[in-house]
Amino acid sequence: MSLLKPFSKLPELNTANILLVENEEQFQQILAETIVLLKKNVNVNVRLARSLPLPIENEKFRPRIDLVVFIINLTSELSYQSAEVSLKFLDPDYFLGKVCFLVTNARNASVPPERLISVRKLVASLHCPLLFAEDQMTDGVNTAAHRLLAILKVTSGHVPMATGLYLSSLTRCTVPSDIDQQNFD
Amino acid sequence: MAKAFNLLTSDLDVSSESDLSVSSRASNRSLRVAEKERRKSEAEDPFLLALKYFSEVKAGTPWMGNDVLERNLVLVERMGLTRGLPPEVISTMLDYAMSLRMGAPCVRVLKFLIPATVVPQEAIVRAVAWLCVGKIAISTQVLFLKWVLTFFDMIDSKDHLRSIYGFIFNFVTEEHLCPYICHLLYLLTRKDMLHQRSFIFSLSPQGRQPFLLHLLSLYKVFCPELVTTALPSKLRGGFKNHVTPWKGVLNAIQKRNTGQVTSDIRLTIGVKDGSNSRKRKCNHLQLPSLNSAVQRNLSSTNSRKVFPLEQLHSFPELLDNLHRIELPSQMGSLLGSSLALCYLDYVQDDSAFLRLNFWLGHALHEGKKASPYAQNCVLPVSTCQNCSPLCLFYAYVLSRAPQEGFFSTESFLYKFLNVWDGSLLRPQILGLLSHIPVVPSSCIHQLLFEPLMQLFFSSTLFFKCSVIECLNDMLLKWLTWHSVYSVEDGLDISLNSHTPMNMTLSGFMDSVMELVLFVGRLATVGLQLEGCSSLLLSFVLDFYETVCDMFLKFELPLVVMPPVGVFYPALFATDPVSVDRLCFIMCRYKQNLTAAKFQQQEHVFHISSQTYREFNRYQLLMVSTLWNSRLFQPGMAVEVDHNLLALSKVPEPSASFTLIRHPAFVGYALDFHLKCWPERKDMDLKSVKAGKHWEWYLEFLFSHGYLGLQQFVQSNINWHPGSGTKSQGQGDGQPTNG
Repeated sequence: MSLLKPFSKLPELNTANILLVENEEQFQQILAETIVLLKKNVNVNVRLARSLPLPIENEKFRPRIDLVVFIINLTSELSYQSAEVSLKFLDPDYFLGKVCFLVTNARNASVPPERLISVRKLVASLHCPLLFAEDQMTDGVNTAAHRLLAILKVTSGHVPMATGLYLSSLTRCTVPSDIDQQNFD
Repeated sequence: MAKAFNLLTSDLDVSSESDLSVSSRASNRSLRVAEKERRKSEAEDPFLLALKYFSEVKAGTPWMGNDVLERNLVLVERMGLTRGLPPEVISTMLDYAMSLRMGAPCVRVLKFLIPATVVPQEAIVRAVAWLCVGKIAISTQVLFLKWVLTFFDMIDSKDHLRSIYGFIFNFVTEEHLCPYICHLLYLLTRKDMLHQRSFIFSLSPQGRQPFLLHLLSLYKVFCPELVTTALPSKLRGGFKNHVTPWKGVLNAIQKRNTGQVTSDIRLTIGVKDGSNSRKRKCNHLQLPSLNSAVQRNLSSTNSRKVFPLEQLHSFPELLDNLHRIELPSQMGSLLGSSLALCYLDYVQDDSAFLRLNFWLGHALHEGKKASPYAQNCVLPVSTCQNCSPLCLFYAYVLSRAPQEGFFSTESFLYKFLNVWDGSLLRPQILGLLSHIPVVPSSCIHQLLFEPLMQLFFSSTLFFKCSVIECLNDMLLKWLTWHSVYSVEDGLDISLNSHTPMNMTLSGFMDSVMELVLFVGRLATVGLQLEGCSSLLLSFVLDFYETVCDMFLKFELPLVVMPPVGVFYPALFATDPVSVDRLCFIMCRYKQNLTAAKFQQQEHVFHISSQTYREFNRYQLLMVSTLWNSRLFQPGMAVEVDHNLLALSKVPEPSASFTLIRHPAFVGYALDFHLKCWPERKDMDLKSVKAGKHWEWYLEFLFSHGYLGLQQFVQSNINWHPGSGTKSQGQGDGQPTNG
């Protein structure tokens, strides 16, 4: 078992590395291609993984990962569980602003509402941002790519005066309290 | 050969039966046969015979193994399912079915009872009478009521139905019928009908069901004194939009009969043909068409004239018939016609708003597939691969929905923000967001700010700008509401008569305050993350242009200064426009604060001295930075140690943001220098400051359209152009420390 650590390696000049973790390996491929094709002023390397831990063999050649994105497909229970298990292989330092969650299919009617709530609770307990994506539409994928890139730029230190921790303290997920929700309904 | 064929077809006038591929002889024969059959059928039309059979058949005739019945039924059924039935046939068949003259086929008859044009109301009245006899099985009764609800808009007029309102009302006590009866009553109820009678409701535990509550809320709108129970202000659920088997058939029949659908979504939002097959998959996504089947000539003979909305074609027509317009049963159809929306705006009819609200709630929340309790299932995802019809549908509904005081659109929006990716239907969502009524400050964080903040900071510059713009619109809308609806004496406001929303002035001010502070936070961090982008700054300054005038323009005794995170980026911006706008905003603040100070003695409101102090600090800083070259000096807002400044090796650091050396204006200074001394080789900007040149330089700047700057200089600085010397501009612009 090896923990992925954010500060064990030196950063490279003008480079940012993002790791997309998705059990189903569907959306991550499209998203990775979109991110690579985006116009940007830093070199962005996208790395893909099904789950954590990452294989030890590549440890030497793996650059410093600036942002870990867990993609959760809400229609599949497995996707959520896999992300939950993978979380254990991240160094706690990552949770200081270098992890974010991307949820797809949140509007799908066949998803039990409890699943979204449990994802929210998990993400809120880790103080991470929770993004939603429309993976079926080109526009949705583009937006998701842009948003991830915006966060990546901050976490890899390319935005002056801002750090990942700072950003994630602003964007971190909250669980809407039930009482208010009921009042509102 | 071809010639002969042409002759034949023209003779017989049955071109549809001819086939070009057959030989002329064969076609000749077959045509003759067809002709013969046609003549024969005219003599004794089996369809007419069948009808005769149904209207005259004796009660108690056995139906099991009755071949005659079976044959006749099949005949009418085929007719019903392919072309629809004319009114008199509907009447006959309904009477036949509901009287249970032969027992069992009742359900079958109801299933193929599709009207081709209209449903005569007498048929329904008679059927309701049969319903009162009480011999019919409950499930059949339910089916009948569903049938009535489905074809409600095709009933030719409703006055007779309304006259048996009391009879229909009696069925409310039937447990299984109740939801449908309530829906029917909901559609039939008129204000004048309730005054004549009084209904006594005893609400049993099961009585607090949504459909009853919906009906009650309508009664409450009409006659508040009749309904004494407290009703929840926001109702969920309610009448289901029953997906009945008839609708699909009806659509197909109407299409065949008229050659086109009257006004479904395909026509109204300009998605042209070809999307036909896809559309059928998303049948539930259509806006209901305006098709109440009241004939104008028919209704004119009735005592109460009604004018169906879909026959309105021009505005004068609307004006002429304003008093006798009949609302359709599917309120969503109103969204398809701009005249109908005009009508709705004009009448301010509470019941119509209630019903439209209900329809919107249904369309936005429950959709077809989403389970009613599923909280996350807003905007249900259609199963079909291409989502564009769905998007178009919602885009359409959202853009047309009258936006004030519709809880259903609001609650939809709040839920949607929580799962929004920031791009889906962005213009519509932001448009809707800018129109929501004032949110109480107690829940504004939870409902609006948290989801917006999470979206804002993780999105692109463009999105940030549109959010700020949308919040500016929202604030403008709130302030306008305030200035329009605020009651004279108490300064309290009651918004929209058709919503239960009342707010005290302090509650309103709290909400506005929260909103302004929230945008201040968004702007501060947003500017920082985007490297003080001029584009974002311009949207932020737009917002503060609204904020600075709240007192004078909207009579709201509230002045909120921008945070330093907005003030400094604007003051030290590299583009002169931002600086100019900041100057303008500060001038407006000064006028508002001065006016507030004058009125403060007469009125009860109070503007905190903290605000005055903040304003004075900003004002002083601006004067000393742009004018007096006293930046970084002790006593100023920004103090930096001298040694530290010396390390930077900038000559005269305290003068580095004067109107000459400010990065936004240095270009103008250079230009001015060139124009004044074109032959000079070495640039000496200091010479601009001396004597007459300074005056000319300012004129030069103002002539470029920097009116905010001009206003700022004229109102804040003791500067006499005639004297030729620059006096020590003493920021006299302190409306004093209140």
